Amino acid sequence: MADATSVEAGGSTAGPARPPYLGHGVGLRRDHFERVLEGPTRIDWFEIISENFMVRGGRPLEVLAQVRARYPVVMHGVSLSIGSTDSLDEAYLDRLADLAQRVEPAWVSDHLCWTSVGGHQAHDLLPLPYTEEALRHVVSRVLHVQERLGRPIALENVSSYVGYRASSMPEWEFLSEVARRSGCGILLDINNIYVSARNHAFDPVRYLEGVPPGKVWQFHLAGHSDKGAYLLDTHDHPVCDPVWDLYAEAVRRFGAVSNLIEWDDKIPSFERLEAESEKARSIHQALLSGRTSLPGQESLSGQEPLPGGASFSGPSAEAV
Amino acid sequence: MAARPDLRKTQDLFWSLITAPEGVRPGLEGLVRRGEAPSSILDEVFAGDERLSPADRLDIYANMYFFRLLDCLREDFPKVAAAVGDDRFHNLATDFLLRHPSGHPSLRELGRRLPRFVADHALGAAFPYLADLARLEWARADVFDAPDAAPLSRADLARLPEDRAGEARLELAPAFELLRFDYNVVRIWRDLEDGDPGPASARPREGNSASPDVDAEAGHHASCAHAAAPRGPRTSRPKMTAARVWRQRASIYHKSVDEEEARCLEMVRAGEPLGRICQSLAAGRSPARATERVGRLIQSWIEDGILAACTLPD
Repeated sequence: MADATSVEAGGSTAGPARPPYLGHGVGLRRDHFERVLEGPTRIDWFEIISENFMVRGGRPLEVLAQVRARYPVVMHGVSLSIGSTDSLDEAYLDRLADLAQRVEPAWVSDHLCWTSVGGHQAHDLLPLPYTEEALRHVVSRVLHVQERLGRPIALENVSSYVGYRASSMPEWEFLSEVARRSGCGILLDINNIYVSARNHAFDPVRYLEGVPPGKVWQFHLAGHSDKGAYLLDTHDHPVCDPVWDLYAEAVRRFGAVSNLIEWDDKIPSFERLEAESEKARSIHQALLSGRTSLPGQESLSGQEPLPGGASFSGPSAEAV
Repeated sequence: MAARPDLRKTQDLFWSLITAPEGVRPGLEGLVRRGEAPSSILDEVFAGDERLSPADRLDIYANMYFFRLLDCLREDFPKVAAAVGDDRFHNLATDFLLRHPSGHPSLRELGRRLPRFVADHALGAAFPYLADLARLEWARADVFDAPDAAPLSRADLARLPEDRAGEARLELAPAFELLRFDYNVVRIWRDLEDGDPGPASARPREGNSASPDVDAEAGHHASCAHAAAPRGPRTSRPKMTAARVWRQRASIYHKSVDEEEARCLEMVRAGEPLGRICQSLAAGRSPARATERVGRLIQSWIEDGILAACTLPD
C-alpha cells in the first residue's frame, strides 16, 4: 500500500480540510477488471468514472463492490456540467448521491466546464469564459451540489482549445476563486495544464504558482497527442517528459497530493499502467523524502493507516 | 461592435457551431443567413491566434463531438455497423444525431432511439432487417446492466407443494428480454459474427454454447472490428422469428426460440399460472406430454438463469 500519510488542512484559504492522502492510483477500466480482482497490485487506489457505474446492475457494479472492498475509491464524473446555463440535473444528482452512498468514495470530483446546453449533451468538456458572471454562476451551483451530496467536491481544470475574448482573468485565478468561494477542492490535471498552456501560449509553471496549495486534493497525469498546431488531450499515450517535469514542480509546490494516472484509449496492459504509476511514485518519493512539512499540510507522518478524514467520508477498508 | 453575448447566449452559439453537420464555418454561414448572428461573431466571442483561428479551434470541438458519439453508436451497434459498412453507418449516425442529439448525461443512453430511427430511415428500406438487428443489439445493451436478481434454482422449484404447482407463477429475471422479429436476425447476427476476423469472433462461447443458436459476448461494449464495406445481406426474406436475450454471470446471450416457447414466455411475463401455460401446450398433446414439454422449458430457463422467482398466490 501507499506511504499513507495523515494530512491536515492547510493553505491560506478557508474551506474544509484537505482529504486524506491516498498515494498513487489509476483509473479503473473494464479492460483491467479481471487483473485487478485477480490479486495484489502496485496500485494504492482507484478512480472510477461515476457515470459508468450509474447503472442498475450487472458486471460493472459487481466488480466495483469487490474493488472497493480492497482499495480506496474516488468517484470522478464527466457530466455534472457545473458551468452550464441549464438548470442542474436533479435526477443526475440523485443518481450521483446514490452511487456515493454505495461506494463511500474518498471524495467526488468532476470538471470545471460545461457539457450541456438547451437540454442537449455534448459529452465533451467545454471551456467557460473566465468572467465574474461565470464565476458567480459556477460558485452558486457548486454550493448547491455540495449541499445535495452532503460533502465538498473537487473540480478539475480541463484541456481547452479555444478561449474567449470576454475572459477577464486567467484560468488558474478562476479555478482558485471557485475553490475559495465555494469551499470545493481542486483536482489539478497536470497534463491538462500543459496541453492548455501550449494551446493558449501561457507558462504552465505560472499556473501552478497561481493555485493555493491547501486547496489541491488530487493530481491527474495522462498522455496527449501532438497535432502540430495544437495538443489534443487523448489519454492514449504515456505521460510525456515535459509533463513529468511539470508534475515534479507540482509535487515541490503542493507536497503529498494523491496522484492518478489516466489512460482511456489504446489501453495498455495493467503492468504497463502500474509502471507509469510507479514512475510517479518514485518522483514523489525522491522529492519529498526527508521533508516533514509541506505547503498546505501541518504534518506528514510515515506509515499510518488511512485516516477517516475530519469532514470527509474517508475511505475505509470495509466492503461496500 | 455589438455587446458580447452573456453566458447563455455564448453557450448556445458554441453548441450550434460545434454540432453543425458540415463544420463550424458552414454552421456560422447558416446562422448569418438566418439573421441569428452577425458574420463577425466568431472573432468577437472567441480568441484565436496566428496558429489557429477561432473557427479552426471550434472545429477541434466539432470533430470530437461527432466522432465520440459515432464511436459510441458503433460500440453499441457493432453488427448494424458491420452490415451496412462504415460510410453508410457514418451517414446514419449523422442523421440520427441531428434528429436525436443526446439528452442524457450518460452515453449509455445515446442509442436508445436508434432502432426506431432505423426503421424509418432510408437505410432501413435498403436493408430491411436492419431495424430488427438494431433492436437485438440494443436489447443486449439493456440486459448488460439490468438489475441483478438471484436466479431461481431447481431446489426452489422442488419446494412447491405438488398439489398446488398449477397455481404457481414464475417471475422472469430483470436481465431478460423476449423479442419478436420480422426477419431472422439471430441468423444474420451470427453470420456477421462468424465472418468477422476480429477479436469478437475469436472469443470463446460460454454457458450453453452447445446450442447452435446461442451467441454470447463478454459485454455489449466489447470491441468488435468493423468492416469498411457492407457485409450484411442486401436482401433477406421476411420471416417471423423470436429470440430471448439474457445475462448469466457476466455474459450476455441471445437465442432463437420457437413460437411455442415465445408464447410461454409471454404468458410468464403476463403473470399467468403454470397450469394455464400447460393448457396452452395441450393442443395435439396428451396432458402428460404437455406437462413434460413445460418441464423441459422450465428446466432450460433455470439452466440459463432467466427465472428469478416462483410464487404461490396467498
